[in-house]
Amino acid sequence: MNSAADVSSPPRDAQSFRRRLIGFIAVGEVGVLAAMALLIAFFWLLEPAFLSERNTRAILNVVSFVGIIAIGQTILLVAGEFDLSVGSVAGLSAVVAAKLMTAAALPVSIAILGGVGVGALIGLVNGLIVVRLGIPAFIQTLGMLFIGQGLIQVVTSGYPVYPLPEAINVIGGTDLAFGLGWSFAFFIIAAVIADFVLRRTVLGRNMYATGGNKEVAHLVGINTNAYKIGAFIVVGALSAIAGMFVMADLGSGGTSIGSGWELTVIAGVVVGGVSLFGGAGTVAGGVVGILMLKVVQSGLVVIGVNSNWQQIAVGVIMVMAVGLDILRRRYFIAGA
Amino acid sequence: MSNTTQEPLFSATGITKNFGGVQALRSVDFDVTAGEIHALLGQNGAGKSTLVKILNGVHPAGSYTGIIRLDGRAVSFASPADARSNGVGYVPQEIEVLEQLSVAENVFAGRTGLGDGMLVHQRKLEQRAGEIFAELGIDINPRAYVASLTSAQRHLVMIARAIVLKPRVLMLDEPTASLSGIEVDALFSVLRRLKAQGVAMIYITHRLPEVLAICDRATVLRDGQVAVRIAREDFDAETFIFSMSGQRLQRLFPEHAAPVGARTALEVRRLTVAGHGGAVHGARDISLSVAAGEIVGLAGLLGSGRSEILQGIYGRVPAEGEIRVAGEPVSIRSPGDARAAGIALLTEDRKRDGLLFNLPVGANITIGNLAPLSRHGMVRGGLERSSILSAMRALNVKASSPQAAVTHLSGGNQQKLLFARVLMRAPKVLLLDEPTKGVDAATRHEIYRLVVELAEKGVALLIVASELEELIGLCDRCLVVTDGRIVDEFSRGEGGEDRVLRSVTAAQAQRHAMASQVSS
Repeated sequence: MNSAADVSSPPRDAQSFRRRLIGFIAVGEVGVLAAMALLIAFFWLLEPAFLSERNTRAILNVVSFVGIIAIGQTILLVAGEFDLSVGSVAGLSAVVAAKLMTAAALPVSIAILGGVGVGALIGLVNGLIVVRLGIPAFIQTLGMLFIGQGLIQVVTSGYPVYPLPEAINVIGGTDLAFGLGWSFAFFIIAAVIADFVLRRTVLGRNMYATGGNKEVAHLVGINTNAYKIGAFIVVGALSAIAGMFVMADLGSGGTSIGSGWELTVIAGVVVGGVSLFGGAGTVAGGVVGILMLKVVQSGLVVIGVNSNWQQIAVGVIMVMAVGLDILRRRYFIAGA
Repeated sequence: MSNTTQEPLFSATGITKNFGGVQALRSVDFDVTAGEIHALLGQNGAGKSTLVKILNGVHPAGSYTGIIRLDGRAVSFASPADARSNGVGYVPQEIEVLEQLSVAENVFAGRTGLGDGMLVHQRKLEQRAGEIFAELGIDINPRAYVASLTSAQRHLVMIARAIVLKPRVLMLDEPTASLSGIEVDALFSVLRRLKAQGVAMIYITHRLPEVLAICDRATVLRDGQVAVRIAREDFDAETFIFSMSGQRLQRLFPEHAAPVGARTALEVRRLTVAGHGGAVHGARDISLSVAAGEIVGLAGLLGSGRSEILQGIYGRVPAEGEIRVAGEPVSIRSPGDARAAGIALLTEDRKRDGLLFNLPVGANITIGNLAPLSRHGMVRGGLERSSILSAMRALNVKASSPQAAVTHLSGGNQQKLLFARVLMRAPKVLLLDEPTKGVDAATRHEIYRLVVELAEKGVALLIVASELEELIGLCDRCLVVTDGRIVDEFSRGEGGEDRVLRSVTAAQAQRHAMASQVSS
């Protein structure tokens, strides 16, 4: 009838069906969602308590903290860079905010803005150094990881900042639904927005172009440096927010907040199909990847696997996921 | 027939090589005797590099037909290392050095143990490298780091590396491409010493004055066959030019006449372009203009600076000078500025700086062109899809859907996709760098028709192409570029391939003569 319908006629032969199937599998999220469903079923069959309300809530709660960072890390990976300092930045922002609201006696809202500011500033510094000086992101952000850890000790002299104003405990203790609080709400909203931005906006498209081939992006008029620096700032700010949510959850500005997160976050988003080589992956995929990693960790605890073997399982899964990512790139993106 | 009285040291007989369905070499005979410098000439795509790759084992025995003999004995090389250990050395055109190591370590790269054990004998290496340099008359400190050397010195280090193994045959691929006149003379004196030592040399070049200066014999390849073999006493630039251009299959080019009295669309005055990565290449003092609806070609050899001119105009590499579009002066510091001024560039290397392999066909077309397809920063999916489909239809891009991966497209379809991208903004000035590189014959014709169609719509086109026949057939006017300068200009009908080769040769001869005067 109308011409639009003719253009999008359904596949007629087996070959085009096969192509569609391959195209479907090529979408990163599908594979990881299927894998996660299998894992959940596996753990649940072995130990029904795995899907208990308490355990589910615990998993989702942990995922909300690292998930907030995973959103930023995904955006940065899409732009072709990555950040190892996210854990340090989370911890540093948390203790700075804690000090601002206690030692400096600033209003809680100002102190929180200060914490976000610290994260964004570190992101800006990382971005400027990587883009303008050409120092590899690996070196720059690894250096920043150590600098951040040192600054945490400088700011706190090694002691947790405690007690915090009542408002912080309220933020940390609020039960919005199913025992999940503000951090989870923020995580979901930020993930939906970020996913939309990458998928549907000009900004997002230019981000993929920048990460896919910086030279091509530059030639079509995209300011690739600005995109990369912007992505570093977003990661920094989101890390700071995650760190402060943990602080609210604990009720204290602990010095170990964020410690070791950098590798969890990168492992998670990579499991979710976000490419370490830049230009490929989605926020939905990255978030699902992090969720899957936490499902495995929790599942192994619940079914009573020795803790040493849990670590080994996480390592194996990560390497397998990256191997799959490379295969996927070879067959679906770069061509065999 | 070769005119040599000596038995050849190294010879190839009846070499035939196919790439897919394309015959790159057809029963080529080639030989070189001890103490001879034999020039291998031909236009781009004539088969020179294929022959060299067969002779030094890059294309291993079995991938071609024909016989290679060294000292009259049939040999078959499985790899370049195999060729090297049989006494056949090769100095590639690109400089391949280990920058962080010393000159001596580079000269002995891969055999720093000097054959006894695992240890590196630093002092012995330096001493041996010094001996080789003294023998060749090269003045470089073996202890210096290669990072501090000029590109000419690096080239000499690569030659020394090939000499270490005392090769009996040495192949040099465009050894002077990155050298200045004085440095060329230094290289020549090295080659003369090697010649005196009885090394057989194969000298691949585009530069005829160098052939006249140093070579003993020349073989010209054309379309994968030996066109002519010339002995030194019959050397003559005219003969070379005639045999290199020769008669080739005529292609049909669509009719187009230069517009009369059209306004100037692009005007460039005294443009100087830096070379890529600080190289000596680039372009100096370029002035040119292209009228609306005119097709202008930049003819020149590889590395002549023709691509740099396009990149300088587009703001991809830093350039100084005046650029006007439709009479208005514009300041171009980045590709973004050039695009805003209505200039578009189709780059030479699709894989390296054209396609985005992480995005599907559709997004590859619209990237950089999303502003009119979006509202408040959000891409309007339906509008994007319909404009992609109409662009694909207009340029006959064959892909299963806008969601298809670009990898699976043929070279021709990839190229049309990139045309769709640059045309989406309806540029006033279109710069095309090798628009038909690596595309099939049918697409080639589609591209020719497209170029003429665009000109008829009033777009100003500036084209770089290695195939002179194509450039001359397509363009209303040709500018000949060599060593970063425009040395000749002629309109359609005023000259052919021979005119380009002649002006390039004349300019190079002039430069060579000047350099020799300075150095002597």
